[in-house]
Amino acid sequence: MTPAALIGTVAATLIDGEALFDTAVASLAAGVFVALTGSLAIYGFATAAEMQRVGRDVAAVGAGALAVVASLAFMGALGVGLYLIISG
Amino acid sequence: MDGDVVLVIVVATALVFDFTNGFHDTANVVATSISTHALSPRVAVGMAALLNFAGAFISIQVAATIASDVVDAGAITPTVIFAGLVGAISWNLITWYFGLPSSSSHALIGGVVGAVIAAVGTAAVDGEGILGKVLIPAVLAPIVAFVIGAIAIIIAYRICGRLRPGPVTRGFRLGQIFTGGMLALAHGTNDAQKTMGVITLALIANGNLPSTGFDVPTWVIVTSASAIALGTYTGGWRIIRTMGTRIIKMDSAQGFSAQGAGAAVILASSHFGYPLSTTQVIAGGVMGSGAGKRISAVRWGVAGNIVVAWFLTLPASAAIGAACYGFVSIFGDGATGPVILSGLAIFLGLTLFAQRIRRGQPVPQV
Repeated sequence: MTPAALIGTVAATLIDGEALFDTAVASLAAGVFVALTGSLAIYGFATAAEMQRVGRDVAAVGAGALAVVASLAFMGALGVGLYLIISG
Repeated sequence: MDGDVVLVIVVATALVFDFTNGFHDTANVVATSISTHALSPRVAVGMAALLNFAGAFISIQVAATIASDVVDAGAITPTVIFAGLVGAISWNLITWYFGLPSSSSHALIGGVVGAVIAAVGTAAVDGEGILGKVLIPAVLAPIVAFVIGAIAIIIAYRICGRLRPGPVTRGFRLGQIFTGGMLALAHGTNDAQKTMGVITLALIANGNLPSTGFDVPTWVIVTSASAIALGTYTGGWRIIRTMGTRIIKMDSAQGFSAQGAGAAVILASSHFGYPLSTTQVIAGGVMGSGAGKRISAVRWGVAGNIVVAWFLTLPASAAIGAACYGFVSIFGDGATGPVILSGLAIFLGLTLFAQRIRRGQPVPQV
């Protein structure tokens, strides 16, 4: 067995790689989702205000709807995070 | 009788550590909100204190890890834990003095491990637990937070970069209140539990709790939550300045991204029972949100100093913990050693604070 393979075997014995991987994936998914929904909500609200200012009411309603949906998703993500901790 | 006196000293020392943890790590929770003007310093610190208090009640996964996966609970004494705590507090105060955001968690684990090695050798140290539950996550967590912070800021700039800056800045500042709140809650769920774990360990060592199948007592949870909340409210302004303005010059989108990344990593880790360093995670998120905008936006010299402090924390606090145990054991197994060391530590701590106050309060005008 090569030294690298030996280190790999020892590490695999000592470290719960699956739990670590799950933690990293859950963190990545949560972080990206929060950034995405938060940014879309801000984009929606800012665009809706801008469209309303220039008199494009239909576009303003569309952007407003995007803002509301993204805000709900953002708050939902925070809620899921809380639930996971409480149920843990 | 002597055992009970030592236990009382250990519990008091653990709560002092918890206070310094809140005091020291407040920076992580509030620096980004303060530096982007999302919240005023007083409101940010007050909110963080309240949410840290609440977070301490939510989960005890990390406390269980500290109490059972790092050292052999059956092989250590309250005196060993006391020496470890003094090692951790000392390192926290040293890094606070120099304004370095080091890890209180690793200081605690290092201090306890050093004292255990000085007392009974390496046999009582759970190498597997430390490697799998502490060291590997310690290396991975800031990297994951860095990557998430970088991706998050790229997403934020791509989506909102062409809009008028005024509403976007206000939007991200509002978002920071939510992500900052989650971060404070995550900090409470992760950090207050370390003290709970140590007090639980002392209760086991003193025979007040069984070594297997124990529950963390309610009074331990309440006092730990209160100590960290009080420390958080007191605040560590030197580290706030480093974290909030010295690593990168932060805008509100970067603050939002860094906080979101930090909260995501800490909450996920708490759920899986990893006692992470919130300091390292948030610093990783801050660096990532800077590097995602432009690699040169990160002051890599400051970041390098922080990373050096991270690497030094475990061995330095372990060395101080071992030295403290050596000093205490000169006076035998009774309460004399801990009482003398406590007196010396209080004297040194007060001298340090008096010196700091004489030089002027290092509160930044934000």
